[in-house]
Amino acid sequence: MKEFSIDELARYNGKNGVPAYTAYKGRVYDVSASFLWNNGNHQVFHVAGVDLTEAMEQAPHGGDVLERFPVVGTLRTTG
Amino acid sequence: MAKVAREMVERSGVNVDQLLELLVKNAAAELTTYYYYTILRCNLIGLEGEGIKEIAEAARIEDRNHFEALVPRIYELGGKLPEDMKAFHDTSACPPAKLPKDPRDIQAMLKVLVEAERCAVRGYTHICNLTAGKDHRTYDLSLAILNEEVEHESWFSEFLGEGPSGHFMRRGDNSPFVSKFLK
Repeated sequence: MKEFSIDELARYNGKNGVPAYTAYKGRVYDVSASFLWNNGNHQVFHVAGVDLTEAMEQAPHGGDVLERFPVVGTLRTTG
Repeated sequence: MAKVAREMVERSGVNVDQLLELLVKNAAAELTTYYYYTILRCNLIGLEGEGIKEIAEAARIEDRNHFEALVPRIYELGGKLPEDMKAFHDTSACPPAKLPKDPRDIQAMLKVLVEAERCAVRGYTHICNLTAGKDHRTYDLSLAILNEEVEHESWFSEFLGEGPSGHFMRRGDNSPFVSKFLK
């Protein structure tokens, strides 16, 4: 499975036809198909292409909501 | 716009433009849900469908009332609804509650209904969290809506057999919590 750096993940911001990826607890998910990630934006405060592990703590839902999306890789947290 | 009302919210530390974006998204979710629930309700036929038709109708009307209650607050804070209704639809905070492939499958209908309500519960919980102690009016409104959405979720969850909700269907008028904003 592909390993993404933070910079590589940032390219997948869901804009201009690019897929929308988001990372959570080391896994990278493709959320492009979700109505709630239209154009790489989620509920005003979040954008695709970032690690949302910390932000999930404040979310009105858990990380289990991501389980319905395909995993496209893992996130390398250093380098 | 209620200029001082907006200023008070800004001074409390709330990003009013972000809050407005959220309110518009949730207003879109309410109006689109009202539309999609109309289709769902019309398709609740047969003995099984008839059994949940009235409660689906109560949720439908109350979600429309939520839209009506949100609109003045959006404009009070200096926001507005999008001029294009198609764009408004696509900005919704919740996915469209579309008719399942087999409308005679009541379990599938209930799953659409319960997921729509769950999205709403999360959405208004989030707005309450953002505004508690800061934007008293939006908090009051969002809490009122949240109370009704929790009841909606409970009804459909119970029909799915997930456990008792503690509720009976509405007796009397709709929107027991939100109606004060509609006067």
